[in-house]
Amino acid sequence: MDVGLLGQYVMNGLMLGMMYALVAVGFTLFFGVMDIINFAHGDVLTVGAFAALATILGLAGIGVDSPWIQLAGATLVAVTTMAALGAVIARTLVLPLKGAPPLNTLLITLMLGTALHEGVRLFYPQGANPQRFPSLLPTDAYSFGHFTLRIDSLLVLTTGLLLIVGIHLLINRTKLGLAIRAVAQDEDTAKTMGINYTLIVLATFAIGSGLAAFAGVLHGLYYSEVNFAMGLLLGVIGFSAAIVGGLGNIYGAILGGFLFSALQTIGVLAMPFASAYKDVFAFAVVILIMAWRPTGLISEKISQRV
Amino acid sequence: MSAAETTATTATGGLAVEGVYTAYDKADVLEDVTLEAQPGKITCLLGSNGSGKTTLIRSVLGLTRPNRGRIRFDGVDLTGLPTHRIVAAGIACIPEGRQVFPKLTVEENLRLGAYQEPNPDVVARRLEKVYGTFPRLKERQAQIAGTLSGGEQAMVSIGRGLMSAPKLLIVDEPSLGLAPILVKENFNIIRRINGDGITVFLVEQNVRQTLAIADYGYVLRKGRVVAAGTPGELGRTQEVHAAYFGQGR
Ligand SMILES: Nc1ncnc2c1ncn2[C@@H]1O[C@H](COP(=O)(O)OP(=O)(O)OP(=O)(O)O)[C@@H](O)[C@H]1O
Ligand SMILES: [Mg+2]
Repeated sequence: MDVGLLGQYVMNGLMLGMMYALVAVGFTLFFGVMDIINFAHGDVLTVGAFAALATILGLAGIGVDSPWIQLAGATLVAVTTMAALGAVIARTLVLPLKGAPPLNTLLITLMLGTALHEGVRLFYPQGANPQRFPSLLPTDAYSFGHFTLRIDSLLVLTTGLLLIVGIHLLINRTKLGLAIRAVAQDEDTAKTMGINYTLIVLATFAIGSGLAAFAGVLHGLYYSEVNFAMGLLLGVIGFSAAIVGGLGNIYGAILGGFLFSALQTIGVLAMPFASAYKDVFAFAVVILIMAWRPTGLISEKISQRV
Repeated sequence: MSAAETTATTATGGLAVEGVYTAYDKADVLEDVTLEAQPGKITCLLGSNGSGKTTLIRSVLGLTRPNRGRIRFDGVDLTGLPTHRIVAAGIACIPEGRQVFPKLTVEENLRLGAYQEPNPDVVARRLEKVYGTFPRLKERQAQIAGTLSGGEQAMVSIGRGLMSAPKLLIVDEPSLGLAPILVKENFNIIRRINGDGITVFLVEQNVRQTLAIADYGYVLRKGRVVAAGTPGELGRTQEVHAAYFGQGR
């Protein structure tokens, strides 16, 4: 196969893997601290992407033309509003349902997610149709044979990878991260250390949801398009990535994200005549991995419980 | 915890539990428990398995809210406060079963003990003091706590409890599962902690050694205080024998 074409696939695979990893980290953080699955997570990403789009259009509307300012403003609005939404979800739905069967939380977040993306579809102007996401990054491109390196793609990828490094540092090098890990391991003992449990849960949901919003913005920039259903598949893939990596472990989530995109890429390469089947292939392989390692590649919580 | 930090002229760290009732879901555990830990003293709580000792500690820490009754600390009402506010008042706990965070390093565990202390220099000083008491922990500061031996985990748990420089240290069965020599060492450490001016509330099953270091004690049976007194008085009561060797709980 042509090296340039291969480069293109690798680039695309890394891009998707980065986005999946950002979504998966949220799932795994929420599970870590609260033992729950937040099925609204993918739709929080959608709302974040639309919040960013609306901010860009709004800024353009009031005459702010600089793409960098538009982008910075959009990212800031998307991340902070979704972080706040995540904290609100934790405060009003997840914490009150703490003693309830996990299925109840699962169902409630599923309903919330549906309400969120249906809200976008109905209330965003023309929300039922895909919306063009402006290309705010420089679109210069360099060609190497069949491989075209676009500066905007490179920037998106680099930003995403930096975010992943950032979340690693946050969890492992800061006091907040230490508190999050302590709460994930042993809630009562963490409280006994003087950790404000509620605050840490809210912070964790804010961080995970803010990351999802950021992923939504990156997704919009990369595909130049957002739509009300974008979070559905991203949510399912992010969730699968978190599970196959080992729910509760952030490195598992990152690994799972890149693994999933690698599988999709392999699916495309192996079946060029039927690339539409790449997701079928990737999910099938993930199912096989789960059958082989039921607690995920880097099993965290479950092994600890046994 | 260091001499400079705790050499108060008047001892603080007095705990008063007044008429506390605590239940889990449907099971009533504590009934009308009233007891006191005098400032600067070692107060012990004896009682057989399942008598409600840990539940009492959970009630004091706000981990399980009492249904009735009051908990006061140096005269301040702590009833119903979230645990982190109770800890902020100056209470630390070495929990039953040690409960080190298994996937964190020794040092991370210790640092969590000083979670509410904002000054990194103070934390560093306390850390050095703990490492001075337990040199073994210093050697193993980067080791994952879950891989420590039981005795080493006990050291982490004790050190962690001291990292907040508490006024009151609550200790729940520190010698459970330890070899006799370590048990003896544990009692010495508790005596030393108290010597530094920290009030100690000690839950134990080792009646003899506990009474040897305590200033005052209570006996819990089926969630009720059935005896109270000085070690000398308790040693002679029927309740102590009944609680441990008699008709179970
Ligand atoms: N989380 C819980 N939910 C329901 N019941 C509980 C819970 N924790 C303790 N209990 C019950 O409360 C009673 C008192 O338990 P507790 O742990 O306070 O006893 P204890 O005196 O500390 O015993 P031990 O010496 O064995 O540690 C027991 O009957 C126990 O089964
Ligand atoms: Mg107990």
